[in-house]
Amino acid sequence: MSPYSDKERARALLADERQRVPRAREPGRTLQADEPQRAPQAREPERTVQAYAPQRAPRPRAPERAPRPRAPERTPRTREPGREPAATAAPAVAPAIGGIRPLGRAGQAALTFALLSGLATHGYHLFEYPLYSTDEGIYVERAWSVIREGRLSPQTYFYDHAPAGWLVLGLWEFVLPRHFETFGNPINSGRVLMLLLHLASVFFLFQIARTFSGSLRAPLIATFFFNFSPLAIYYQREVLLDNMMVFWLLLSIYLLLRRERQLFAGLWSGVAFGISVVTKENAIFFAPSIYYLLSRRVRWDSRRHFGQMFWLFGAGTAISMYFLFATLKGELLPTRLSFDLSHPPRGHVSLLYEMWYQIHRNQGALFVRGGYLYTMWQPKDGVLLVVGTVAMAASLYLGWHERKQDPALLVAGTLALEIAFYLARGSVILDFYVLPLIPLYALNIGLIADRALRRIPAQTARVALPALSGFCGLLLFLPTTGYFVQHGFPGQPDHLADVYNLPLTNLQSEEIAWIRQNIPPTDKIITDEDIWVQLHDVRPYYPYAQSHWNAASDPQIRDGIFHSSWQNIDYIVASNLMKNAMKLNNAGGQEGWILDALNNHSTVVWQLKRGDVYLAIYKIQK
Amino acid sequence: MRDIIYAVIVGLSIVVTIQSAHTLYLTLYTWNRPPSEASAPEQFQPPRLSFTVMLPARHEEAVIGTTIGRVARANYPPGLMQILVICSADDEGTIAKAEEKITELRRQGVRNVSLVVFHDKPINKPHGLNAGLAKAVMDVVTIFDAEDDIHPEIFNVVNTVMGNEQVKVVQGGVQLMNFDSSWYSALNVLEYFFWFKSRLHYHARRGATPLGGNTVFFSRDLITRLGGWDESNLTEDADIGLRLSAAGEPIRIVYDDRYVTKEETPPTIRQFIKQRTRWSQGFMQTLKKGTWRELPTRRQRRLAVYTLAFPQAQALLGLYVPFSLLTILSLKAPVLVALVSFLPVLTLLGHFLISVVGLYEFADAHDLKVSPIAIPRLAFGWIPYQLLVSYASMRAVLRHMRGISNWEKTQHIGAHRELTDARGLELGEEPSRVALFRQGAGESAAGG
Repeated sequence: MSPYSDKERARALLADERQRVPRAREPGRTLQADEPQRAPQAREPERTVQAYAPQRAPRPRAPERAPRPRAPERTPRTREPGREPAATAAPAVAPAIGGIRPLGRAGQAALTFALLSGLATHGYHLFEYPLYSTDEGIYVERAWSVIREGRLSPQTYFYDHAPAGWLVLGLWEFVLPRHFETFGNPINSGRVLMLLLHLASVFFLFQIARTFSGSLRAPLIATFFFNFSPLAIYYQREVLLDNMMVFWLLLSIYLLLRRERQLFAGLWSGVAFGISVVTKENAIFFAPSIYYLLSRRVRWDSRRHFGQMFWLFGAGTAISMYFLFATLKGELLPTRLSFDLSHPPRGHVSLLYEMWYQIHRNQGALFVRGGYLYTMWQPKDGVLLVVGTVAMAASLYLGWHERKQDPALLVAGTLALEIAFYLARGSVILDFYVLPLIPLYALNIGLIADRALRRIPAQTARVALPALSGFCGLLLFLPTTGYFVQHGFPGQPDHLADVYNLPLTNLQSEEIAWIRQNIPPTDKIITDEDIWVQLHDVRPYYPYAQSHWNAASDPQIRDGIFHSSWQNIDYIVASNLMKNAMKLNNAGGQEGWILDALNNHSTVVWQLKRGDVYLAIYKIQK
Repeated sequence: MRDIIYAVIVGLSIVVTIQSAHTLYLTLYTWNRPPSEASAPEQFQPPRLSFTVMLPARHEEAVIGTTIGRVARANYPPGLMQILVICSADDEGTIAKAEEKITELRRQGVRNVSLVVFHDKPINKPHGLNAGLAKAVMDVVTIFDAEDDIHPEIFNVVNTVMGNEQVKVVQGGVQLMNFDSSWYSALNVLEYFFWFKSRLHYHARRGATPLGGNTVFFSRDLITRLGGWDESNLTEDADIGLRLSAAGEPIRIVYDDRYVTKEETPPTIRQFIKQRTRWSQGFMQTLKKGTWRELPTRRQRRLAVYTLAFPQAQALLGLYVPFSLLTILSLKAPVLVALVSFLPVLTLLGHFLISVVGLYEFADAHDLKVSPIAIPRLAFGWIPYQLLVSYASMRAVLRHMRGISNWEKTQHIGAHRELTDARGLELGEEPSRVALFRQGAGESAAGG
């Protein structure tokens, strides 16, 4: 028998019934701070009354009390994406608690579309475009070292990045039947992992946008940009720590929004966030927004202190393992505690010194002519950048004003602002640093677009929305946007976008094939990171094929193999990008001897050009 | 050889981490359930059941009078209550104090309190309870310890629960209160807090419940049928809980911050160790006795064994700490081995953080204030407290191996008691003993 009196029981059953039925979707419904289950002033001591017996049938779940009446139920079938509720519908009642709700049919269809489109746009032509990059090579190389050598790097690991990313990559490579060669080139198997992580990220972004907005429009729009943006496709295919960081970040947010609000959700969210930080350190910039979201979610929960503590504990645990690792290796602090950046301490590498160095690096700025914003990002997708920035600003403005009732827009806006600030502040900017901005801009665009569309009266919306969607779709087919079609070279016709059309990686495959046919494995080769694993993991091995970065800076390689002399180089395998990088990296003269070999003592023995990509192999004449 | 040591370190670390993480889960079990599942009855049913309250006491001269008074003035019809103070014949001091109080109450018209004196052996709590059970006449039998501060509504709560749910066994909440008396009292308080508020619910749900020694209510018929308490067992409460679980009897746990029975932590470390030794040894006796084998499902039996064997594991953990320190200082283990061996430290940190939050939850629930010194004291006392518990467990193992099983009584001084109200003074109850405790613990008296 229930412990309640009959009146209590009736109330409990009624509330149970309301819980099971899908709630009405009111216009303007967004993520809400949890409603208090009791007035804070009248907080009563925690009570637990349990009745347990082994093998007893489970008792009906007593519901949480809804302090306000709820709108009448509406079946999921009536909720079609883009359709506005009638203007004369019942006035919106304050929703009780935000949280990810089960998907109806329309929602399932929308999610399926999002996932399939992500699979198609990111999976098709995955191994052909873009060109294998240096950074892809670095991370696959390090994953290789984890599996093959039990080390974090084939060379000295100097804490340039926290290792969680390539540890995950290494685990992935390890479970594949042929490890690095499962999909041909080693970087291909990494790209398959990126594809899987992207699909998971699409799911998380969809659910986050849906929870924040209470509609299907926002997640559809958000995931559309996340999937179809050429900027997104270009970088999200690559094996980059930033892609993995985005996955953990979105997972962390998703876990906080789960409806069940399990006590340990804060812990797992914190762990996911901590892993995102030890995947790519700049994830730390998202901590304030995520913690704020957590605080708002648990505000009226009697277990809020545990939830907040667990989040901090989870995040701290994951991050502290990195510091512990350095401590155990005696590499936390620099030699003689010297943090002098102009005179790097000798002896051993140091995590804290490297962090100090990274903070003080000043090699780039965002808003400069020739910067990546203008040369890479804007040409690839100016639409996303402009619209995303406007949406972020709108989210911040609207979110600030409605933060007490609904923190969703504020959270979305600040998440984007945090990474935008990180980019805008300067310091080091590499082209793929735009990656975390993409899903967050997409989220903001989705939320603001949803808000704007809700203002259209229902009758007008029936006509206007399909027309608007069609118009936007047409725009995206214009070569100017580059989403599906892009301009050809002068005199050439417009063609399908490069992301679906242009094969580039076969250039590198031909390059490797030539090396294997013509260069003895014992020769000393300066190359880029993108082909390192291919030369070290497939027989015959090329043990003296080393990247120019390591040849210039790692004493083991610089002094042990090449003795800093061009005469100890047999071949240089370089792309135009690599040559630029070598020049940039020669500020202190560390690559001078390699450039000397390249410029003054070499002849081209092989070359290939496609578009603006140029690969060549140089034999050094001694 | 080194590889073997590394393997042992890694293996032990993983086992300890898993065990610690599981304990952490149990510690917060209730908090992880929907709040509505644990709601207390909002309304009481009219008094229907009658209660025999048994107050076993030995050398409790300092506190027994107040306890009798508080039970006597519970908010329940006196005609439905029978209060039995149980003493052994040789405990003349407590008998005298009890008789004094009973006489005083009779002068005030309270006639439902009587004294039960037993002359035979063994002189221990379960024997006293059985002696009291023979004199019990009411529907429900319950036990309170001599130092307990019960809530006046506790009988209404149990009357409602038993009546509504037709359960025959109810375990009420017991809570140590004096969290700032000494360096270890906060940790002791939190143990009770998490045990009764959370972990015991898990046990009850799984059907392997080691009951507490007081504020537990049994149908008299049931307990009589079971044969009363095991007089050879140092933890007769855990034993009877398992016997009830084996008999398939559902046990209801009621923990409501308002209605908890308030107790005190042992006033000195020596007393604390004695108490812990007794509990650990009692668990070992119960394990050896084999009642757990009668539990119907494998899961219940596993849980019972895990719980009862834990003191022995704690003893081993106590040995592990110096071993661990020795290896840290002398062994240059590979980084991966060292990282894995650090995992138990992380779970330990998790436990500590839970304790910090728990302390504030506890204080908030009872309108108490956590002083600034409480958290540093908690932090610095954490490891020594675990070592203390491990030492007590090791002592219990040794006593068990040597066949020593005498009842080491815990001293009570009423440190948890607040200043009594006017009604209490009217009934002749003693004022707060906090000053006495501080004196006893070696600190200067704070007055009162």
